[in-house]
Amino acid sequence: MSTVFITHNDCLSHTTPPGHPEQVARLEHVQQALDAPEFADLLREDAPLGTDSHILLAHPAAHIKRVRDAAPTEGTVSLDPDTHMSAGSLTAALRGVGANIRAVEMVMNGEVNNAFCGIRPPGHHAEQEKPMGFCLFGNVAIAAKHALENCGARRVAIVDFDVHHGNGTQSLLWDESRALFCSSHQMPLYPGTGAATETGAFDNVLNYPLPEGCTTATLQAAYDGEIFPAIEAFNPDLILVSAGFDAHRADPLAGLMWEVEDYIWLTKRICDVADKVCEGRIVSTLEGGYDLDALAASVAAHMLVFMERGG
Amino acid sequence: MSDKPVDKMSFEEAMAALEAVVGQLERGDVPLEESIKLYERGAELKKRCEAKLKEAEEKVAAITLGEDGQPTGTKPVEGL
Repeated sequence: MSTVFITHNDCLSHTTPPGHPEQVARLEHVQQALDAPEFADLLREDAPLGTDSHILLAHPAAHIKRVRDAAPTEGTVSLDPDTHMSAGSLTAALRGVGANIRAVEMVMNGEVNNAFCGIRPPGHHAEQEKPMGFCLFGNVAIAAKHALENCGARRVAIVDFDVHHGNGTQSLLWDESRALFCSSHQMPLYPGTGAATETGAFDNVLNYPLPEGCTTATLQAAYDGEIFPAIEAFNPDLILVSAGFDAHRADPLAGLMWEVEDYIWLTKRICDVADKVCEGRIVSTLEGGYDLDALAASVAAHMLVFMERGG
Repeated sequence: MSDKPVDKMSFEEAMAALEAVVGQLERGDVPLEESIKLYERGAELKKRCEAKLKEAEEKVAAITLGEDGQPTGTKPVEGL
């Protein structure tokens, strides 16, 4: 039993316009960080391509068609002011879906304890029929549905600690009583959703908005006070993590003040909860994080905890 | 968005601009990349509103009344 890192170099072929924060260098920095000697024992897999049948677990066919039709053969096209596609974007996005599918299967089959998908574009803003916020397909919602429909999970909990609210995951799982979606995020901030009053069709959504400048004490109160107890009560068979690292104090797109140590604490506590309720089964997926050094350091710290706990 | 520098805005102008910013953020019609900049402008506008309120408070004086209930003068208000 161990930890797997699933990625694919096709995710480097999703290019965005010059100056765009969701850039190729993000994943390059993550991959370089995980090439360090302390990760020598890390199990690595290339992400397979996700299929339409996987995406259809969470999106209607019209969404797949829209994204496929929008894909350019050269240059970039803009789907909205934030969200762009290049010639390599569709394949990159399908690798992102495939990474999540493979990770869920490996963890649910007991091949590994936990997994991290180092992919881009991210996914948690993509709604049913709307790519947005750098995202094309709802990777984590698809992973949740795959675990529930095809891998024997009775319930799945999601922890979304990206600094932006995971509106897409929330909307894709709004009426899925077997999924508990928990999100901490700065508010007000993009995308404008994520109020504590948004609770899902089955009380299966838990939003915890955080004020600008939020540091360790508030973070720990949010998770230990509300989010982790809710997950323990839900008693899932798998925990999925939307791992955005843009709540880091160095991030240019938000105003929270987390440090690498906070991501270590958070990852350890997620592992504690997973050990308690689901034999340590965790699948984590890269979402945001736009300061390249902070991103690389935070992902490395996240992975070291996974390896320590999954080994 | 007004081009007028925030530090030259009246209270009413800053408040109106702040309400517009909050509305945009709440509606979610701001690009992800711009969202934090808009938030920072909101924080700047809030600071301006607070400074103008403080100025106004300092100008307010309470009317003091004599034993017969007639006004005798003014004194600064405390605790606003």
